[in-house]
Amino acid sequence: MSRWMPWLQAAPLALVLAVFLVVPMAMLVVVSFYDYDSFSLIPDFVLTNYREVFSSWVTWQTYLKTLWFAGLTWAITLLLGFWLAYFLAFVVRDPTWRMLLFVLTTVPFWTSNLIRMIAWIPFLGRNGILNNTLIGLGAIDRPLEFLLFSDFAVILAFVHLYTLFMVVPVFNTMMRIDHRLLEAARDAGAGFWQTLWCVILPLCKPGIGIGSIFVVVLVMGDFATVRLMSGGQSASVGLMISNQIGLMQYPAAAANAVVLLAMVLLLVAAMLRAIDIRKEL
Amino acid sequence: MHETKTALTRRGALALAGAALGSGAITGFPTIWAQNIKDVTLRQIGTGVSGLNPIAEQVKKDLGFTLQLTVTDTDAVAQRAATQARSFDIADIEYFSIKKVYPTGAVQPIDTTRIKLIDKLVPIFTTGKLTPDSQMGQGTSPFSVGFVDSRDAKSFAGKRTELMTLLPTIYNADTLGIRPDLVGRPISHWKDLMDPAFKGRASILNIPGIGIMDAAMVAESAGVVKYGDKGNMTREEIDKTIAFLIEAKRAGQFRAFWKTFDESVNLMASGEVVIQSMWSPAVAAVRSRGIPCTYQPLAEGYRAWGSGLGVMRHVSGLQLDAAYEYLNWYLSGWAGAFLNRQGYYSAVLETAKQNMSENEWGYWMEGKPATAPILSPDGREMEKAGAVRDGGAFAERMGRVVCWNSVMDQDRYMVQKWNEFIAA
Amino acid sequence: MRPDVELIGVTKRYGATVAVDGLSLLIPGGSYCCLLGPSGCGKTSTLRMIAGHESISAGDILLAGRNVTDLKPAERGTAMMFQSYALFPHLSALENIAFGPRMRGVGKAERLARAREFLRLVQLETMADRLPAQLSGGQQQRVALARALITRPKVLLLDEPLSALDPFLRGQMREELKRLQRELGITFIHVTHGQEEAMALSDLAVVMDHGRIAQAAPPREIFERPASAFVARFIGGHNVLELPQGRFAIRTDRTRLAPAAAGPDLAGPDRAGLNLAGQVTAVEYQGSAVRVVLRAADGQTAEALLPDASFHAAPVAPGEAATLGWSAQDAHALPPA
Repeated sequence: MSRWMPWLQAAPLALVLAVFLVVPMAMLVVVSFYDYDSFSLIPDFVLTNYREVFSSWVTWQTYLKTLWFAGLTWAITLLLGFWLAYFLAFVVRDPTWRMLLFVLTTVPFWTSNLIRMIAWIPFLGRNGILNNTLIGLGAIDRPLEFLLFSDFAVILAFVHLYTLFMVVPVFNTMMRIDHRLLEAARDAGAGFWQTLWCVILPLCKPGIGIGSIFVVVLVMGDFATVRLMSGGQSASVGLMISNQIGLMQYPAAAANAVVLLAMVLLLVAAMLRAIDIRKEL
Repeated sequence: MHETKTALTRRGALALAGAALGSGAITGFPTIWAQNIKDVTLRQIGTGVSGLNPIAEQVKKDLGFTLQLTVTDTDAVAQRAATQARSFDIADIEYFSIKKVYPTGAVQPIDTTRIKLIDKLVPIFTTGKLTPDSQMGQGTSPFSVGFVDSRDAKSFAGKRTELMTLLPTIYNADTLGIRPDLVGRPISHWKDLMDPAFKGRASILNIPGIGIMDAAMVAESAGVVKYGDKGNMTREEIDKTIAFLIEAKRAGQFRAFWKTFDESVNLMASGEVVIQSMWSPAVAAVRSRGIPCTYQPLAEGYRAWGSGLGVMRHVSGLQLDAAYEYLNWYLSGWAGAFLNRQGYYSAVLETAKQNMSENEWGYWMEGKPATAPILSPDGREMEKAGAVRDGGAFAERMGRVVCWNSVMDQDRYMVQKWNEFIAA
Repeated sequence: MRPDVELIGVTKRYGATVAVDGLSLLIPGGSYCCLLGPSGCGKTSTLRMIAGHESISAGDILLAGRNVTDLKPAERGTAMMFQSYALFPHLSALENIAFGPRMRGVGKAERLARAREFLRLVQLETMADRLPAQLSGGQQQRVALARALITRPKVLLLDEPLSALDPFLRGQMREELKRLQRELGITFIHVTHGQEEAMALSDLAVVMDHGRIAQAAPPREIFERPASAFVARFIGGHNVLELPQGRFAIRTDRTRLAPAAAGPDLAGPDRAGLNLAGQVTAVEYQGSAVRVVLRAADGQTAEALLPDASFHAAPVAPGEAATLGWSAQDAHALPPA
């Protein structure tokens, strides 16, 4: 009996994982090889769906665009998130203030993603608050069109949505850095940037790694932000999949999902190779 | 044959018993027949266009049974009808969708001998033409997919028979919406959507099946593409149309693409866009915010769409009786008037007229100036006295339909190319 | 010019509280100086001000005659060894040591060669590639020491360097610190709260209390002539007693004991002020010595540290009456309270 206890104890979680993760994944892979017509799935083993993914310049372009969104968003959230975390961890001395400011950074997360995105629209629009203000100040004489329904708007929304995912883990690792290490660096003759580069940054790597995984995975899978903020003018893989589901091209959507999944897994694996996040866990 | 029918009925009765009694004591005996029709629930799926609660409330009042509405978007209705037909009883579905859904066998044909007002239907649905000498529009016209020869037919009859795929309920003629205060000049053609003067201020809807039709209207108007049948394009025609769109997109003609009703309203109301594909009630919604917006009649004519009620294959027995009651009720006037007042058209005009005031009928259907303020169904003032409906009378609008929303033979190819346009 | 360290009226205020209050001190070059005192006495603040990690509210710090008050830590010619070492956890022992040269732009090959030299100095050649987490406490401390020394400082500042070690290692490291200081000939300033450590190491011991210097002198002088009751109590080994003639500090090892029954030897009338009668409250055997604690009728307590042989010649037990006595020259007069 006791020999089976560990198996029994592991069983509930294994069951949950099997039912909610392994089985759907397997279904996804299986369906990606199905054939289909306008209204039905045809169980089969065809490579058409994958051939369509890899042979069309649209999918290549869409994947590249998605990577570009992910890369740019990552770079900006990293830069912003790092300095925000730095400010909270090292500049703000008073713990009460630090907690207060930290909670403040999470305030946008009290509303839904969609609302946070939609809120940008009246702000950035042609006759939006920003354009009207700038015109009112005489800074520009015609509205800035690139502010909304553009890649700029998409990136802006991503940064707005996801910077916190970078701030939190980076802040967490920074808070664990012994301040005496910074003094030790200063004592050894390190300037501000040298301390940052040689001490703080390497010690923040696990946090940066976790934040990067969050941001990259979230952006790679997004479809709502790209559609809303680009005014439907930009494509992302997620959006492409969502369109295919809308048109009931499930096998095509499944094939795309499998490719996207593989790509995201590779990205995460690459990040894990570069950074050992286990220190954080 | 008789055997099969019995079996079907039996299964239907069981399903019905399940629906009526919930879980529990199903003995297999048709005790259900003793139940009153008031215990019947019809589950209907449809779009927000006609999936409106006042209709369900009126059904309860007039017929006694419950109409349970599920509202989703056009694609999802077709999707669920084709893949999860048993999860509802009535599909409120578009004609171009039924072209794809009917062959799957999810929907049973409607026996027109049980429809009292069948001969009062607007002839668009029974002959394909509004008047004997008007043109039959291109694309998936309701007539072309409206009838089947037999209960088990997988293809459409193409002529009037006693079996209908959908009972028509609502239809309209679509055109471009404009902001008359911002376009700065009269708009008269579909090609005006691509006028460089509106660079960065135009939009088109991003639902491939409908968007491609608007694009075709524009391309034809601009003289870029000549179509054999806009509703069933060849690959070459699709290529040319998409190339035309991509060129415009790269030149920065479009501000955005919209997918939902609300998006189209917001784009127009905020002034981000001054000319775009639009739906009639969206124009009304912009206007109700006090912002001028016109549903502009154009020289080339309208793109039309229509939808109807389909009865799912599994419905039978008392529930089927209730479904026919409901179909007949839909044509009997109240619903028609209700829909006409929102700027749509009802399938039987006579009965709707009896349920509308003279002023309402004159304004909505005859193109006459309103003699008193026109109110929306919820009682808000939509138009002041003296206003005239964009595009004028019913005959003028529906008589100038040049194509219907459609599903093409090259559907899959078209969608692929449309995605290229969006990704470009 | 000798690399003396000179503090002139150095003051540190945190808001309204004064941590260091007008401290003036001269530490001769090449000496081992211990800053000593209970926690909160300002010793660590003083050290950090010398290092440049704490700004100075008032006063000046001179290093080898140069005013370094406003200089950055690395420009002062000091190096600091931090409490619990503050080794960079992501760098190997060798890289930790090479950190200073790296910051100063020394080429990789050269700085690693130099680091290896210092690793040898602290006898850790074989540990070059270990991360700090893979080193024992003593080893970490040697790495920290090497890291501080590689910048060739004129003054090495040590913040409680031995407090994290177990007693055995502590003794060993103490010797090593003293040996290094002697060999390198540079000034060590060492903060500690252990008087034993200060006694063992320092040429100059500075006892601090409430941000001021209570006494700065060679340890022997402090032990033999504590400047105040505070110093005498803090340094230990003294009875501080209020006697008719005044207040005195008397070393416990110079205090003798006579059982009540033993006659007038210690308790004679001519010995007024040189004895204290009372009841024994504790007897503690310490190997070579025995500690006897006595409570007088007026509530004062005193103790005697007796060679074991003399105690066992005339033992007392807790509860018995006894008298402690000392000779006049062993009674060190203290300023009145």
